[in-house]
Amino acid sequence: MHFSFIAQRGIQALVTLLTVSLVSFALMKSLPGDPLDILLGSAQKDIAPQELDTLRQELGLNQNPVKQYSLWLASWLAPARDENLALGLSYRDGRPVKEVIMERLPATLALCGLALVLSFSLGIALGALLAYLRLRGERSPAVRNLSLAISAALAGFYAMPAFWLAFLLVAALALRPDLYPPPIFGISAPGKDVDLTIVRYLLPPALILSLRRLVKVALYVKELALQELSSPYVLSALAKGLSLFQVTCRHVLKNCLVPVVNLLGLSAPSLVGGSVLIETIFCLPGLGRLSVEAAFGRNYPVLLSLSMLYGTVVVVASFAADCLSRSLDVRLQEGN
Amino acid sequence: MKRLNPAQLTGLSILSVMVFLALLGLLEPPCLSNLAPADINVPPFQNPRHLFGTDGLGRDLFTMLLKGAAGTLFVGLAAALSASIFGYCLGAFSALCGGLIDSLLMRLVDALLSVPAIVLLLTISSLISSPEFTRTMLAVGGLKQLSQGLALSDHSLGYLPLLSVVAAIAATNWLESARVARALTQKLMTEEYMLAARSLGAGSLHLLRYHLGPALQAVAALETTLLTADAIIMESGLTYLGLGLGPATPSWGGMLKEAQSGLLCGNLHGAVLPGLFLALTVMGINLLAARSKEHG
Repeated sequence: MHFSFIAQRGIQALVTLLTVSLVSFALMKSLPGDPLDILLGSAQKDIAPQELDTLRQELGLNQNPVKQYSLWLASWLAPARDENLALGLSYRDGRPVKEVIMERLPATLALCGLALVLSFSLGIALGALLAYLRLRGERSPAVRNLSLAISAALAGFYAMPAFWLAFLLVAALALRPDLYPPPIFGISAPGKDVDLTIVRYLLPPALILSLRRLVKVALYVKELALQELSSPYVLSALAKGLSLFQVTCRHVLKNCLVPVVNLLGLSAPSLVGGSVLIETIFCLPGLGRLSVEAAFGRNYPVLLSLSMLYGTVVVVASFAADCLSRSLDVRLQEGN
Repeated sequence: MKRLNPAQLTGLSILSVMVFLALLGLLEPPCLSNLAPADINVPPFQNPRHLFGTDGLGRDLFTMLLKGAAGTLFVGLAAALSASIFGYCLGAFSALCGGLIDSLLMRLVDALLSVPAIVLLLTISSLISSPEFTRTMLAVGGLKQLSQGLALSDHSLGYLPLLSVVAAIAATNWLESARVARALTQKLMTEEYMLAARSLGAGSLHLLRYHLGPALQAVAALETTLLTADAIIMESGLTYLGLGLGPATPSWGGMLKEAQSGLLCGNLHGAVLPGLFLALTVMGINLLAARSKEHG
């Protein structure tokens, strides 16, 4: 039963991925302009027509679209093959798109990884605190006011545009040359990248990136914990003589785990999407900034390969979250 | 009409103030339009003529905020409305059709949803703002009227960014609405009154007009409200990157973009105020929507 579930979800994920690739490819092909024109630029005038034809053949531009699509797909699946297809070359410098993407991957991975850790560790802690304050607040008004104030602050942070907070933070950090010696985040040296090996430089962007997610996780965990704590099994466990702490650790946390794992799997799009603006503002050499550069330069092969890559990450993450929550929760397995 | 609770009332009053400001910005009463050149980077509360101070070009910040309100709110509302209308129509259509059309449409929605909205947004707005696109718009005869209306020409984009930003945001936001509408329609179709109507011979159109439509409307209204907040944030981000509204259409995102360079000259208020207005508007929308979800 478990296997059939995984197979079914796997096939669904594959179909989604194929559709993403098909849409990306169709968009790329339907764009105005000959890729050769853009790749060669003004140098095209100096090349003999026969040579242009040979080049066209080498780049796979004279094949029919179906063949081109299958070649493009094959170059995605099998590395180091067919890299010189026209659609696999960055319009900006003629390098293979994969090489360009691989260069930028570490920064995005580091940023999103740190943001994910921050948003879930801080979010769960804050959610638990809010739930505790809510339970306590039923008796004392001071605690209730405190929890209301925290909730209001969270709602405020949730409404603020992340990029605005980001550039205010950059401006604030620029005033502390002892902590962040200039040039920081490309401020006085546009285009100068941040050294990723220093956590101090990665922390501010990761914090901003995780903020919205953090609020979401905190509110979610708070509701979840309150709901679980008011359910009958907690009452009966308490009646049997267990302490509230024991009940929380042994039963409540376990039941809260599955929804949180699901939320983890679903946070991929917002993190990856948020990294676009954050990387641009903090001058991190990541994929997000690459996609902005590609959008400005109308570098469609890079842009659409990126959307394909992002799509893959998102689909795989939600698939993994599905499988993981199945294996964590026995009730879900029986329900199917 | 249900009575509003305090949170909703707060949200509503914040939004009314914002709409009032936007109207002021559009009507430009002479006592308020104060764009005559002045000293640059005047801090707030120093000069009675510029209560909020001036920006890096010496423009009165309050007047700019008024003008920006109109652009920001218009894009947010227009994008959310068109996204939810399109999404709801398509979702209901997909559910009513069923079968192959339904699964094809839903796979497409799944695929587009798996690409982060901002990447789609970058792709679409880079497409629409490309010179080839403008040339095609000018070349096609039937679009001439539209191009003229948008003040589009060889050397200027006119109001095209306004339209293209709305289109780009709507194109990424309809997906969620389509999913919700499809699920809701499928659920409604199993209700007994639907069965009764159908067994009396009601066709799809009748069902849509008298039974599905009203039921979908209530959910759609709530979703459009929430989408407006998303659209406002998206527009400001896009404009900040330089792919959104051009300088011809003032918006809070555009003000933030301009204020970033002023920040280094010590013009803090120019960067703080538009962001605060954005955050307040989004919070007002969230307050209005979140509470009505709980109680309705």
